[in-house]
Amino acid sequence: MELTSTLSRDLVLQVSSTLNEPDWLRAKRLLAWETFTKLPYPTPRTEEWKYTDITEVPFEELALELPVGQSLTREALPAEVKLRLEQAQLSGFAVFVGADLVYAELPEELSKQGVVLTSLHEALRTHPEQVEANLFKAVNWNDLVGAQASRRENSKIPALNAALFTHGVFLYIPKNVEFSKPIGVFKYLEGQVSGVAGRGSDALGKLSSSRTLIVGDVNSQGVYIEEYISPAKVPASVNTSSTELILAQGAKLRHAHIQTLGEGFYHFHRQRAHLDRDAALNDLVVDMGGSIVRAEVQSEMLGAGSYSEMLGLYFTSGTQHVDHYTLQHHVADHAYSDVLYKGAAKDGSRTVYAGLIKLEPGAQKTDAYQTNRNLLLSPEARSDSVPQLEIAANDVKCSHGSSTAPVDPMELFYLMSRGLPQHVGQQILVKAHLTDVLTRIPIEPLREHIEHIIEEKVRL
Amino acid sequence: MANQLEIRNLHARIESGEEILKGVNLVVPKGEIHAVMGPNGSGKSTLAKIVAGDPSYEVTAGEILVDGQSVMEMEADERARHGLFLAFQYPVEVPGVTNANFLRLALQAKLGQDVSVMEFYGKLQKALQILEWDESILTRYLNDGFSGGEKKRNEILQLMVLEPTYAILDETDSGLDIDALKVVSKGVNAMRGPGFGAVLITHYQRLLNYITPDVVHVMVEGKIVTSGGPELALKLEEQGYEWVKGLAVAAG
Repeated sequence: MELTSTLSRDLVLQVSSTLNEPDWLRAKRLLAWETFTKLPYPTPRTEEWKYTDITEVPFEELALELPVGQSLTREALPAEVKLRLEQAQLSGFAVFVGADLVYAELPEELSKQGVVLTSLHEALRTHPEQVEANLFKAVNWNDLVGAQASRRENSKIPALNAALFTHGVFLYIPKNVEFSKPIGVFKYLEGQVSGVAGRGSDALGKLSSSRTLIVGDVNSQGVYIEEYISPAKVPASVNTSSTELILAQGAKLRHAHIQTLGEGFYHFHRQRAHLDRDAALNDLVVDMGGSIVRAEVQSEMLGAGSYSEMLGLYFTSGTQHVDHYTLQHHVADHAYSDVLYKGAAKDGSRTVYAGLIKLEPGAQKTDAYQTNRNLLLSPEARSDSVPQLEIAANDVKCSHGSSTAPVDPMELFYLMSRGLPQHVGQQILVKAHLTDVLTRIPIEPLREHIEHIIEEKVRL
Repeated sequence: MANQLEIRNLHARIESGEEILKGVNLVVPKGEIHAVMGPNGSGKSTLAKIVAGDPSYEVTAGEILVDGQSVMEMEADERARHGLFLAFQYPVEVPGVTNANFLRLALQAKLGQDVSVMEFYGKLQKALQILEWDESILTRYLNDGFSGGEKKRNEILQLMVLEPTYAILDETDSGLDIDALKVVSKGVNAMRGPGFGAVLITHYQRLLNYITPDVVHVMVEGKIVTSGGPELALKLEEQGYEWVKGLAVAAG
């Protein structure tokens, strides 16, 4: 049995010193590393991982992708990214290739008002207090809520990410500053060691780890889209990402996490928003790519009157396995949260959804809703759905529901009877199924992009 | 022989269930409109769906020929591209695709080529005018939130834009008020001509006041038991279906 690991405490120290990090950050990385080494990996015996087996994921067999200090001109950006840039109608944007921020552009009208879009490590120099006060605040190696907290292996992968993240995004929106044209960040992962002999079947994948920290100051308003892109097929590769959304009083953020990684990627994402009084989040998670994907999307309603819309879209094919977990944690009163996750599965693929609405005793006058609906396009496809409520307050409105159903043969017959080939009929029915999420995405170029991905996937 | 829709000794059942069609014979020459009437449960709607290629039924014997060519091996979409059309009794609601986009996709599929926006809107406008409908219907999602009458009218809109050679209208009249019935009939009558044949499946004679059939067939217990001119529909209206049930018994 292989006992050596590509990961070590020395590697943690090496990453931290290569990146010239301050002492506090190195200390936190080491704490995360200790947690990582102590915990086992989650297995299907772990309640939260009942339907998702990650024993095949080579976390400790791959080389960590380190920054190499490259930067690119706009013309030299990866073709997949350039294509998206043409279509996305963004205000500012930043592009990572591997662990390097290779290109960034922010319109002067935003930078003049104090909006900051940069790499986390640049921000450690330019905005050290902001970073220190907020990094690891929402997502860390000891952040479990509810019953999860008794199964600490749920922190294993976030601990790995915290100990060994090599790059990240920092977005700061100052007090009272508002913008509605999206800022976009593209994380382009090559998924294999470039320039190394043995490309092809025995090529090695990489381990990528990144973080995103968004701080919306009092009464600010912004729109942020983050996309994960890679070549269509890569050797087994792992990506872990952590996203922290810190919204101060009255701050509003529209946030999207769009994952279209290639076959071969194992993608693990944990995101959590802290919402202060009257803060509002419109969140969208789209998982279309990857071989095994787990995304944990959480909103903490810490301030009275806070609002969190949490939308999810996924469409799996082949042997893909995509697992979503949502948490609506209501701590304060008069808050609103609404989860709507919808997906479709074809071929022999699988989807999993589990969600928890947790209301603390102080969360009176809460409105909290949770819906998950799945459409199956083949008899071999499977979707598991586990909605949960934990309510410790008595004056609240809560509901949850889930359903999983195959394509209605009568609906398909109707479309085909008009001359549409079966795959076009299915395409229309998948879109119809996802329509109530799609119509809640007000960013038209993004919605069109997602619709295009859906059309392509049905055809495959 | 070539210019007709021919159903020959058709036997069918719900997958491994009871036999519903027990030897249907029906010939509709191009240029004619036939009515198929019959009591509930006689197999009229089943016949319509099987002709259109509904895969949930199993044909155990017989044939369906379009202009002399068997369509038995064709999927529903191929049959549509061969000129068949079914106006559904219960049209399906499909959010996410607008009526206009859907129709254009269907027309392109049928013609096997792109349709110019000009040509497409030309056809649409003509049909909308006859159906006394305004353009707002085009940007609504396909049948989504439509009233029963709007859904039926939309089936006729599709019929008029797709211009099939043979159409089967499955109880398009049921649930329609008299104004909607007149409008729907106007649409079907506008299609009438030497290149178009139709089967109107109906329970009531009422529709036939507005669309005069060339031939009326009566279906009972999975068979056509008698056929005649438009006067047959009036007789059914007056005397009910009891007497034709006797014919079914006699036919054995």
